[in-house]
Amino acid sequence: MKFLSTILLALLPLAPAPDAAPGSGLDPSSLSHPPIDSWPTYNGDYSGRRFSSLTKINDQNVKSLSLAWMYQLSGSGDSSGGRISATPLVVNGVMYFTVPDKVWAIDARTGRELWTYTWTSKGGIHLGNRGVGIAGNSLYFETPDCNLVSLNLNDGKKRWNQAICDLDQMYYASVAPVVIKNHIITGVSGDDLDRPGYLEARDPESGELQWHWSVVPKPGEPGSETWPNADAMEHGGGMTWLSPTYDPDLNLLFVGTGNPQPVIAAKGRVGANLFTESIVALDADTGKLVWYFQPSPHDTHDWDAIQTPVLFDGEIDGKKRKLVAQASRNGWFFVLDRETGKNYVSSQFVKTNWAKGVDAKGQPIPNPAKEPQIAGALLSPNQGGAANWMPPTFSPATGLFYINATRAFSIYYIFDTDDKPEGWGGNDQGGWSESMLQALDYHTGKVRWTHKWETPGIRGGLLSTAGNLVFAGDPSSNFIALNATNGEPLWHANLGKSVTNGAISYELDDRQYVVVGAGDKMFAFVMNQ
Amino acid sequence: MTREQWGGIVSNMISRGAKGSDEEFAEVVDYLAANLPPAKGATPTAQTKAPRPRSLIDEAGANDKQVVDEEAAARGKTVYIAQCITCHGTKARGGERGADLVRSLVVLHDRYGGTIGPFLAKGHPEGKSITLTQEQIVDLSHFLHQQVGNTLRTGPYNSVLNVLVGDPKEGKAFFDGPGKCSQCHSTSGDLAHIASKYDPPVLQLKVVFPQTAAFGRRSATNSRKPVTVTVTTPSGESATGVLDEIDDFNVSLQDDSGHYRSFQRGPGVKVERHDPYAAHVALLDEYTDKDIHDVVAYLETFK
Repeated sequence: MKFLSTILLALLPLAPAPDAAPGSGLDPSSLSHPPIDSWPTYNGDYSGRRFSSLTKINDQNVKSLSLAWMYQLSGSGDSSGGRISATPLVVNGVMYFTVPDKVWAIDARTGRELWTYTWTSKGGIHLGNRGVGIAGNSLYFETPDCNLVSLNLNDGKKRWNQAICDLDQMYYASVAPVVIKNHIITGVSGDDLDRPGYLEARDPESGELQWHWSVVPKPGEPGSETWPNADAMEHGGGMTWLSPTYDPDLNLLFVGTGNPQPVIAAKGRVGANLFTESIVALDADTGKLVWYFQPSPHDTHDWDAIQTPVLFDGEIDGKKRKLVAQASRNGWFFVLDRETGKNYVSSQFVKTNWAKGVDAKGQPIPNPAKEPQIAGALLSPNQGGAANWMPPTFSPATGLFYINATRAFSIYYIFDTDDKPEGWGGNDQGGWSESMLQALDYHTGKVRWTHKWETPGIRGGLLSTAGNLVFAGDPSSNFIALNATNGEPLWHANLGKSVTNGAISYELDDRQYVVVGAGDKMFAFVMNQ
Repeated sequence: MTREQWGGIVSNMISRGAKGSDEEFAEVVDYLAANLPPAKGATPTAQTKAPRPRSLIDEAGANDKQVVDEEAAARGKTVYIAQCITCHGTKARGGERGADLVRSLVVLHDRYGGTIGPFLAKGHPEGKSITLTQEQIVDLSHFLHQQVGNTLRTGPYNSVLNVLVGDPKEGKAFFDGPGKCSQCHSTSGDLAHIASKYDPPVLQLKVVFPQTAAFGRRSATNSRKPVTVTVTTPSGESATGVLDEIDDFNVSLQDDSGHYRSFQRGPGVKVERHDPYAAHVALLDEYTDKDIHDVVAYLETFK
């Protein structure tokens, strides 16, 4: 009986949503504990850990991993649109992913194309698209021209589209929407013309706005004391470039916010510039701010703190805690209590040169001398950052947080000496960098092991598995499985182009798949039997 | 952008892993500087009117956004100076008396005066409204959209202003002393007339990041030294040459006779890399910004 109930419990998340046809669709309530045959959200689940509990591929047998299929994008257009930076979703044996303006459904067992959808664009920056969200029989994605589009999951036919930002203000949209209960959570992108960032919840059936959270406050609101005036706030930036994570028990969303604007020349925005460059916890049903922590107060280096806030439970000072951790673009690693925002760990995961220490809250204190200068200031990290949008991973099996890190230097200049600089007003130039995969002990932030890559360059994101593996890209186009405990490379394949997304894993017909995107191709690997 | 600005951007790309030879990068910079010159109307000097291919930042905004007619913008500037500048400022960024027009939604939503015209027709400024002809409204619209474009990263304000703030004497002291520059370089030898080869901002990049190409006043006469590598196999076979590619699993090189050699790495395969710029990399953790500015000021004395 106990066995039977265990089986039933295990099957429970597979039950279709009320509005889903048999054999298709996705019940949003299953997203808290996704079934192993799926990868149903951008991060695989709500936690952002990108940890797969699958063990059929493991440190003992990964040497025999081999190609199951490869899919090359059909009609993907120009080079900017042909790069897969989306993390694919897998639901009911079908894989869904995007490049800007285009969605694919392919068979997750074979790579066979089922349908594609192309959006006719009215503009916007086509730099990358992070993928889709799925609820019931509907799929959701954002377009560079500021639309949230919903498609029918089965045939890719459009249901509706809804404007979520204004192209004329040079916003664009690239975030993979996240489905939480009856909310579609959307974020916005754009870094060129001093606009405020925001996060929104929209209705799954109509796209109508449910709530709107502005990253920068209005005069008189909490946080407004960290801005000099209303005008600076109104143009303060803080884009929401990546999908938030979510704790169903606390009903809190965890969001990393982007850099303040003007980006480099900050004469007109004296102060900490809340809630840009922050990790914030929002009530998922109202969008109300519950707490914040600011990794880069008064940032002047484009080091947006949008890196995935990764949720896991752990032990700090002998007590069990609900934690959230971020390896931030500014080179610092933070571990916080996700109920309260209390800081437990602030440490550098690569050596940096811009902070004077940390304040009472554990936030780095920027050194004013390392703000961009007219004659140039040597900074580490550079504008690309010690981390960027590429997903990190946390393995509860090893207790390690993995980040494909960069240690880089460049010289930051102020170009615009106006009393009211606008846009960027400066930039960084030149540079030197090195790259490495870092495994961090979340208790201390100390680097447990480093695997240094031989060259710098594009590497994509990470996946960890219960098979004691971390899957990573290197700068030489290799896709590599490393021993998660000690960093030893165990298997690799050269994909011809560098990994450009985060790998995923799922199990179908007792066979574990690992799938990764590199340029305009998707590769699926399995253990051949 | 200018050749110098494009050189800076390409240097950034190299430092982030872009692969190519110096000659290829120089060609890229030449191409970009020729085909993507500084924004038209950005400086008083005449610019080559080459069509701009779309770049990422050009994608910002709507496909039907206004295409600025530079001549109309120049006419619009005279309208602006006559009617608007007192309240809205020289760069149209506003002030105590007038709104910021670069960030104005009326301007951003405008196409060829279609929004600005009706806005002005309603009576602006209040109590002292201005009257413009339709042609003047279109010209003003071009001028204001030009100001918006100038604010972007591709705009004319995006260049290094002045790096010569250091003390040449202290620069010499650093060069001969803690910087250890004089152990490899000589201002009468390899660095003779260095200041006539590079503009000061480029010279500064060249000092700090010599391993990534920096671009001189003329086409690249770059002499970036290659990283070399010696590979020794378990059998004792050894090959030395210019490093081509290296990762955890393979290494390849071009030997002195021009042959391509590639090796699988593994137990017993010894790989020794020689980075001619290792001393510069080590300095990145040592330099103060003052050291850098002082050395540049010192080298700038060698015209």
